[in-house]
Amino acid sequence: MTATDTAQVVTRNSAASPPRRKRSGKSTLLTVVMLLCLVYFLLPIFWLVVASTKANDDLFTSFGLWFSNMNLAENLHNVFTFQNGVFGHWMLNSLIYAIASGFGASALATAAGYAFAKYRFPGGNAMFTIVLGAVMIPMTALAIPTYLLFAGANLTNTVWAVILPSLVSPFGVYLMRVYAADAVPDSLIEAARVDGAGEMRIFFQIVLRLLVPGSITVLLFTLVASWNNYFLPLIMLNSPDLFPLPVGLAQWQAASAAGSGSQALFSTVITGSLVSVLPLMAAFLFLQRYWQSGLGSGAVKA
Amino acid sequence: MTQPAQPALEKKPVNIAKRRQYVAAYALSMPFMVVFALMIAVPLFYAGYLSFFKKQLIGGVSFVGMDNYARALTDPSFLGGVGRMALFLVIQVPVMLGLSLLFALILDSGMLRLQRFIRLGVFLPYAIPSVIATLMWGYLYGKDFGPFAQLAKSLGLPAPDFLAGGNVLFSIMNIVTWGFVGYNMIVMYAALRSIPAELYEAARVDGAREWRLAWSIKIPAIRGALLLTTIFSVIGSFQLFNEPNLLRVIAPAAIGQDYTPNMYAFQLSFVNQDSNYAAAIAFLLGIVIMAVSYGVQLTANRKEKAS
Amino acid sequence: MKKDTKLAFWTWVPDIQKEVDLFQAKYPSVKVEVVNVGQGGAHYQKLRAAIQAGKGAPDVVQMEFDKLPSFTLTDSLLDLTPYGIGDLKSDYPGWVWSGVTPGGKGIYGVPQDTGPMGMLYREDLFTAAGLTVPKTWDDFAAAVTTYRGKNPSSMLTNWAPSSEANMLGLFWQAGGRPFSYDGAKSVKINLTGDAACKKVTAYWNDLFKSGNIGNEPDFNDAWYQGLNSGKYASWLTGAWGPVFLQGTAKSTAGKWRAAPLPQWDTSKPASGNYGGSTDAVLKSSENPIAAAMLARFVNTDEKAALTLANEQFLFPPATKTLNNPAFADATSSFYGGQKVNKQFTDISMTVQEGFQFLPFNDYAASSYDKTMGKAIGDRGDLNAALAAWQDDLVQYAKGQGFTVAS
Repeated sequence: MTATDTAQVVTRNSAASPPRRKRSGKSTLLTVVMLLCLVYFLLPIFWLVVASTKANDDLFTSFGLWFSNMNLAENLHNVFTFQNGVFGHWMLNSLIYAIASGFGASALATAAGYAFAKYRFPGGNAMFTIVLGAVMIPMTALAIPTYLLFAGANLTNTVWAVILPSLVSPFGVYLMRVYAADAVPDSLIEAARVDGAGEMRIFFQIVLRLLVPGSITVLLFTLVASWNNYFLPLIMLNSPDLFPLPVGLAQWQAASAAGSGSQALFSTVITGSLVSVLPLMAAFLFLQRYWQSGLGSGAVKA
Repeated sequence: MTQPAQPALEKKPVNIAKRRQYVAAYALSMPFMVVFALMIAVPLFYAGYLSFFKKQLIGGVSFVGMDNYARALTDPSFLGGVGRMALFLVIQVPVMLGLSLLFALILDSGMLRLQRFIRLGVFLPYAIPSVIATLMWGYLYGKDFGPFAQLAKSLGLPAPDFLAGGNVLFSIMNIVTWGFVGYNMIVMYAALRSIPAELYEAARVDGAREWRLAWSIKIPAIRGALLLTTIFSVIGSFQLFNEPNLLRVIAPAAIGQDYTPNMYAFQLSFVNQDSNYAAAIAFLLGIVIMAVSYGVQLTANRKEKAS
Repeated sequence: MKKDTKLAFWTWVPDIQKEVDLFQAKYPSVKVEVVNVGQGGAHYQKLRAAIQAGKGAPDVVQMEFDKLPSFTLTDSLLDLTPYGIGDLKSDYPGWVWSGVTPGGKGIYGVPQDTGPMGMLYREDLFTAAGLTVPKTWDDFAAAVTTYRGKNPSSMLTNWAPSSEANMLGLFWQAGGRPFSYDGAKSVKINLTGDAACKKVTAYWNDLFKSGNIGNEPDFNDAWYQGLNSGKYASWLTGAWGPVFLQGTAKSTAGKWRAAPLPQWDTSKPASGNYGGSTDAVLKSSENPIAAAMLARFVNTDEKAALTLANEQFLFPPATKTLNNPAFADATSSFYGGQKVNKQFTDISMTVQEGFQFLPFNDYAASSYDKTMGKAIGDRGDLNAALAAWQDDLVQYAKGQGFTVAS
């Protein structure tokens, strides 16, 4: 197996992907209709931006979809200084959890997906079926058993309680299995074997680079899942210093309903929400093309 | 399980090669499987074990066999939640996936201006965690200060009550739809983009119009993507938790603590101190989801055969 | 205390670090880690999970009065009697002290704050409607109608659907004693057989049916706005309410006043309690002595107690703090210069003893939501809902192995 062979395979693959055909004429009417639909999707986000600039009072007394007295600076100041600046911790935690879970999950899923796609081995299909079946059981309801087991292993209220479970992405394995079946030609593996390459060498030196687009998709998918993760960390974590953003924000929101010792933090929660969705939105903007290429390739062949 | 027949060459080398492949297959799949076993399978088995017991505040733990399951089958809270989610499924999933498909087809037709902007805009809500999405919509739904209520008032109309008992399910559907139309659209769009060019050849010769092309070629060609998104939506619907649970704060009379099976299980675990029964509920819900997912697949296969 | 000791303290009191710092200044060898694991529901869920797992529970925990019995039931709390807490008894009004001795056996917490109920009202709106402060519940019902007649877009008050604690406060005031627990296997659940509970329920049933009072959920954005905008002209709440309102309805400053609850019998002024909490020590604590000292110090040290009252605005349970001029004579411009603390201190002295909570109050509250709360939300039949609540509680208690008396 030479570098040229690999390059050829890659080119062949990418050439085969999007078949472009003659474009129909652009339609202004259709564009306008879609832009109207877009209002629905962007309106709440616009609301969030507007609401972030308001103080508590204005939030409830001024028109919701337009600016009133500008209070953004103070809101931001509150977000980052309230409770000794714990919000900064939350952002950092969310980032750490997302990156650790994302890379870990996509690495595990890539290896397992490839194994399930390209090897016939005892128990392989059974394992794959079980993995898929497990998606059906609602983990929310298993909170207590999971918590008890984690407590038994001294893992509750540690970063591991959030990261370890997030390393399991059955959907990622499924996606990578479908992707690997398609992106890695059997002939390539056979050729490498004939050349005397070991199985592990084949995986790490030849196959892996073919799987990268799929892996990136799984990475993005698990990044989002981890960034949005609310339930598991809610159960597992006690120290606010370890909270990810959604849990922290929900706690601030709940602070207004605690009876004695309550604080109404509405504008702080809203501004904090805006700050916490910005990173992911930015990531979406810059990583757009990966979303389509990878996500689709898994789904098409399902 | 049976292995695909190998060409009978010299016996020994084949076995060695095969064994090497087995080793590699296990080495590659084991890291995932070990984490899977520890993080999902073990808690599942433990929950299964717990579901056969009963723990009373007075009297302690006792083995009750299938009692918890039998109890669930006549429990109006559980059945009501499953029924509500089935209704949710029947309405929300087709609307959401229909919109996704429509948008994906429009994007794929190449007839849009501002294509990239529109695509990103529809997808953007997916970047918003459900906790925050619910918070946002909660404000928008507000009867006194929500912008819709404000608009209605300025027009002299009665303010719409999105959080009233009869409406709140639809309000939740809206939040989920808003968040996931874009995601499903991208999946379908990507599938549409990878339809082999040859499929279009004949149609192009016929001079088929865009909608005809969509109906007879594109949609059948992305069956896989449609099935996948449907099954994931089924799973998502039955496991609904975050949105109703957080909306409860502003609509406690309309959203009970047993509003969805997942909320009910959570309530059982953490308020009623009945995690044994909660575990049984979780398994029954899992079975319902499996049955429905299987039904969806079966229907899809039958349709394929018929066409 | 000489050797180094570490204590974990779960509480959601804002800035309680101040009082903890005072404690640590006095006992430098004790290191206290203050953790806010989440307000209300989340706080107890995490505590339960940690207790069940046998790991990760704190040493000292904030616990509301109505939650105490459910944790003594599971034998999770430490009886503080051997740690000398009993000598505090005379510092509190009787009803406060009985709150930390559920079933009359043992002492399971040090009172932190209480919520004797009174009425906060908009003087300007009352005056504009030609109303004086209602002295009796009959006056109140009449005021509701009058007020509504003059203000079609506003209401005299709002009563939230999912607030069991608030409703129990009204039962308490009326002399209702629907629950009791003997500390072993028997509970009494007697909502429908208790004349006072029935009277209060029927009274509110009529108010809701009339459509003249609000039935919106509380402590959420819409409700805050209602208090800000004059949608509700009064709020029947605990003694922690005044400061809370002051912080959230700034635009109405100077217009509010505080008064006692309307009475059933003006010759015997009474009130009930709504909210408030204690600091309890977990039985699993490895440093029970230090833990008991912390619970005692933050709530009873003169400076700490006064700081809790004046800076964290927790309504003080102890008679001494209540009568301390630094607390009692404080005036607030939000309440037009009224001595609000003094008003609620007087109310606190009218709260009657003998009210008990079920040892599964979490469940009782959630059951309230789906029976009484639902009826309030739908303006349905509250009397029938009371019966439904009773039945549901009895069924749950029996299912949990209790002997149920009514």
